[in-house]
Formats: sequence, C-alpha cells, structure tokens
Amino acid sequence: MLTDPSILFQIAGIGIIVALIHSILKQMGKEEIAQFATLIGFIIVLVIVINGLSNLFQQIKSVFLF
Amino acid sequence: MKWIGALLLVGATTWAGFEWSHRLIMRPKHIRLIKNALQILEAEIVYSQMPLRDAFQRVAGQIPNPVHSFFYGLYAAMKEKHIDFYEVWKSQVDRLMERSCLHRNEREILYQFGRTLGQHDFYQQQKHIQLALTHLERELEDARDEQLKYSKMAKTLGILSGLFIVLLLI
Repeated sequence: MLTDPSILFQIAGIGIIVALIHSILKQMGKEEIAQFATLIGFIIVLVIVINGLSNLFQQIKSVFLF
Repeated sequence: MKWIGALLLVGATTWAGFEWSHRLIMRPKHIRLIKNALQILEAEIVYSQMPLRDAFQRVAGQIPNPVHSFFYGLYAAMKEKHIDFYEVWKSQVDRLMERSCLHRNEREILYQFGRTLGQHDFYQQQKHIQLALTHLERELEDARDEQLKYSKMAKTLGILSGLFIVLLLI
C-alpha cells in the first residue's frame, strides 16, 4: 500500500529539473558540470528511494519476526 | 506557511541568478567606460597638456558613474593631500572595484597603468596609455564572450536551482 503518493511527484519533479539543468549546462559547453549535476540529482533520488525501501524492509521484518 | 516559504526560496535564488547575469552584462559596459576615460585622458595630456589633477577633473566631468566617481575621487584626493600618487591611485582603484563589476585582470591592468602615470614625457605617456587600452580591449573581448555565453544561463539556473531546492524540502 502506498500511503503517501507525493513522494512520486517529488521524484518526478527532481528528475525533470535535473534534466533541464543538464541540458542547459551542456548547451553552454560545460559538460563536466552537467554530468556532475546529473550525478548529484541521481544520488539525491537514490537516498529518497533507499529510505522508502528501508521502511518496506522494516515492515516485513515486523510482520514475520515479531 | 509552507508555500510562502517555497515562494520566498524560489524568489531568492531567482534574484541571485539575475544578479549574476546583471554583473556579466555590466562588465563589458564598465570596461568600455574605462577605455573612453583613458582616451579622454590621453587627449587632455597630449593635446591640452594639462596637469594630471585638472585632467582628472575634466575626465570626471565627461564620464558617467561609476568611473566618474573614480576620477573625481582621484581629483579630490590629489587636491587634499600631497602623498605618493601611486598610493592614491591604488586606493581609488580598489574603491572602483567595489562599486563596479570589473574583475581582477582589469585591476592589474589599472595598477600597472597607475605606476606609469606621471613618470614620463608626453610621448612615452601616450605609448603607455595605448598599451593599457590594448590590454583593456583584450579584456573587453573576453567579457563580451562571457556575457553572450553565460548571462542567459545564469538566469535560468537561478530559477531552476530554486525549484530544485523547494522540491527537495517539500
């Protein structure tokens, strides 16, 4: 069950904005900074997703172990 | 409350982006002003053969801010006390740096130029002014390139980074 759908919109928004920043920086000829910005966006999204996953595993643990 | 904070954040980063792009746009203008001022100074020195102090006053009268206050400050400082000219020049250049959008390169050029000012005869002085003008022309090209490249990007990046931070915190 998804309790809070706003996290989906948050991740989607971050994706769109990182893509925009990447394309603008690339257009201006700053390839390395563009790659770096994309990497940072990816890491941030990864952290959010891992938080959600850890919640999921905690819940499974609480269902089966206790 | 949340939305007010979000709006404030986006507004602040947008403003920062616009300020950055404004500095990029103003830099070539200020370099051009300094070039004009040096050309007027050359005319005053070589043709009118004025003393430096009066020449500075004349230049200040013909050039808008912030270069106006630079030359007027030089004139006022030279009228007030009789210390080493290079010290006066240096402190005024530093004050000009705070008020305008010039970079470190222009500061070095002006320092170098100030060292030669008032040390030579007309002919040599004219050569030194031409040298400073050539250096400034090079910097002007550079600044114009940078303006074309980055001024739009600075604005867009300001807005986008604001939206990004808001999305992260929401």
